[in-house]
Amino acid sequence: MDSISYYLQTALNGILAGCIYALFAMGLTLIYGVLNFVNFAHGELIMWGAYFLFLFMGEPFGLPLYAAIPPALALTGCLGVAMDFSVFRPLRWANRLTLLIAAMGLSVFLRNAAQFFWGAEVRTYGLEVSAGTRFFGLYLTMPQMAIILVTLLCVGAVYLLFFRSRLGKSMRALSDNLDLARISGIDTKRAILAAWVISAVLAAIGGILLALDTNLSPEMGIINLIKAFAATLIGGVGNLWGALLGGLLIGLAENLGVLFISPGYKDGIAFVIMVIILLARPYVIVGERSD
Amino acid sequence: MIEIRNVTKAFGGTRAVSDCSISLEGLTITGLIGPNGSGKTTLFNLITGLLKPDSGEIRFLGKRIDGRLPHEMARLGLIRTFQLSRVFPRMTVLENMLLAPQGQTGERLLSLWFRLPRIRNEESDNRERAFELLDLLGLMRLHDQFAENLSYGQQKLLELGRALMAKPRMILLDEPTAGINPTLIRTMIEMILKMRDRGQVFFIIEHNMDVVIEVCEKVFVLDHGEKIAEGRPEEIQRDPRVIEAYLGC
Amino acid sequence: MDLLLHLAVVVAIYSIFALSLNVEIGYTGLFNFGHVAFFAIGAYTSALLTLSGAPFAVGLLAGLAAAGVCGYLLSIPALKLQGDYFGIATLGFGEILRMVVSNEVWLTKGPMGLPGIPRPEILGFIFDTLPAYLALSACMALTTFAILAFVVLSPFGRALKAVRDDETAAEILGKNALRFKIKSFVIGSTFAGLAGVLWAHYTTFISPGDFTLTETILVLLIVVMGGKGTLPGPVLGAVALIFFQESVRFLRLPPEWTRLLGPLQQMVFGLLLVVLMVFRPEGIIRERGGRHGD
Repeated sequence: MDSISYYLQTALNGILAGCIYALFAMGLTLIYGVLNFVNFAHGELIMWGAYFLFLFMGEPFGLPLYAAIPPALALTGCLGVAMDFSVFRPLRWANRLTLLIAAMGLSVFLRNAAQFFWGAEVRTYGLEVSAGTRFFGLYLTMPQMAIILVTLLCVGAVYLLFFRSRLGKSMRALSDNLDLARISGIDTKRAILAAWVISAVLAAIGGILLALDTNLSPEMGIINLIKAFAATLIGGVGNLWGALLGGLLIGLAENLGVLFISPGYKDGIAFVIMVIILLARPYVIVGERSD
Repeated sequence: MIEIRNVTKAFGGTRAVSDCSISLEGLTITGLIGPNGSGKTTLFNLITGLLKPDSGEIRFLGKRIDGRLPHEMARLGLIRTFQLSRVFPRMTVLENMLLAPQGQTGERLLSLWFRLPRIRNEESDNRERAFELLDLLGLMRLHDQFAENLSYGQQKLLELGRALMAKPRMILLDEPTAGINPTLIRTMIEMILKMRDRGQVFFIIEHNMDVVIEVCEKVFVLDHGEKIAEGRPEEIQRDPRVIEAYLGC
Repeated sequence: MDLLLHLAVVVAIYSIFALSLNVEIGYTGLFNFGHVAFFAIGAYTSALLTLSGAPFAVGLLAGLAAAGVCGYLLSIPALKLQGDYFGIATLGFGEILRMVVSNEVWLTKGPMGLPGIPRPEILGFIFDTLPAYLALSACMALTTFAILAFVVLSPFGRALKAVRDDETAAEILGKNALRFKIKSFVIGSTFAGLAGVLWAHYTTFISPGDFTLTETILVLLIVVMGGKGTLPGPVLGAVALIFFQESVRFLRLPPEWTRLLGPLQQMVFGLLLVVLMVFRPEGIIRERGGRHGD
């Protein structure tokens, strides 16, 4: 392979990874926008989404891939809602530290629950490795094509939902101001519920795509949480399109970065980008109120 | 003391403070009034460094202070209180008070180990002063309670006491009597007047006109971010522009 | 008896670790989720130095200094963030540090770990028995407790609490919130480094696997369960949780169980965190008013 197509291939891989990070970041930023906290357990939704698919494809269900995806997504959606009901709803008016630590605890619980059931080892779905297709000298496998297609579909769906539906409108109102939305008669319960479902399903889709393209392990959640977070920071927190852009940037930076540094540090690139962004930011004192 | 010259601050498209000029030269208690949303608190935020003006300048004792960080303002001798009281909830009343004095030796990590006697002295002086103020504010018996256990009015009194502990050159009070009961309003007013007699200078945002008339020497009136009137409280009350602003059209 | 002595040593080390985190979380409101990184920095610094022949005292001081300096360097970008963001940034730092330790094989031998870390030797006395090591770590724990107690009960500690409660109001009262947060973070990191040094010379073998998120969670749980923002809280939490964790390790269970036991125990810890936050966020010992610094 000549060097130009090698770089192009790397960039393409970066975009593919970026698509997945974008899905994670959009889910994370959505919950942040609506409930104003970083869901530390978001990574576990990613991981459980992938494992739910593993569950339905294995014994005793033995479903084929396409039939196993809907129940896996549905179950992850339920998990998101269950998280809200059991932990975050009782803590909705608690202080931030309490909320964060609870999310952290939830994350530990879910990660180890997966390890308890499926072990710590790295797994795959055991699908046949399909030969890739060549486009203009670039190599693309079936799962990779699926990544691009599904991401585009998700972004389209999120756009329609957010900017074209009443539910989306109420969610946006919520992210502006929870108290105000409540008194202005918006069904906040329904909007929060919807936000959890969407966030969880986006996480599951991303997790499944990632696992199809690479593999799955209980650790996949926490690693991707940091990347998703870096992506939301790039894009501006609470901003859906910013999250999309940030995800793509992180994916590209990781894959292109490996050309220059040891692959062992690939997962650290997102963090370094995050630090650079932070260094460039002025120190802001938050929490001021005005009349 | 404070000199505000042509200060403007806009949020998005709306001007919260618009080309505002105010001088507090030689005044002891000055009032700032105006309808809701007229930019009073924004002006306070600009003076105390929580916001930066878009244009214009603010001088304090002749020094340009706009754009400095809040903690620098406090060092210069400007302390404010908040409209919704902001005491430190998980600290005791006494701790809230002891926190306020500026330039404490014991707040420097290194001095902590080498200047213990001096820190002891500072602490006991501050404590004496804190108890004296708490006594005047009627908060003495609550001194070892967490501040979050105080009633709203008591918290506002504590905030005033805390500001006094800092021995600032000027205290900015943001609606000190809003939302508290008449007995505590009395305590608040008497405290302000007593401290004025001891030479303390105040700049007060206040809605309650009775309070304004009782304590303020001079009043500035804001409406839509612009200064529309200034003068003695009794004159201001009769000013047609002020009446119009309050009744709204 | 040996088991009890072993438990006591681990409790002492984790008390130091938890006390250091409590300065940040309990007294300053900094949500540090990467505290284990500084534990690791202390452990590796001292291990590498003593393995190459430096005396223990040098390793100890270098371990403290390295952890403190790294804390300072991290705090500059990270403390521009508030609350949860700071939490993620520190979490990321913990992961990065583990990556560095695993990848820089020339220095740390990577995943193979560092075996044969010498026992501490001070003025010719070698702390190579359990009781001796217990004496050393208990001494260090007491010193840590005394120093940190002195700091948090001082006017400095009072200012930390003000920054924790309401940063803006603290600023308005003339406290440079960023400075206080940086100092608190450096103090916390330094003492976490101390815990790490003691850990390395106790186990005599360290590898990147010792410094995972799991350790951060454990120490976080110790602090919030014991009672954050109180002095005895972290010590109490350390006693309770270390006894639980280490006694499980010493049950003689069939190997196929032990594979499940690890995750199960972590599930319990996670659940404990959630349940505590929902039902008793202040922990066993409640922070109270009544003491004022002098």
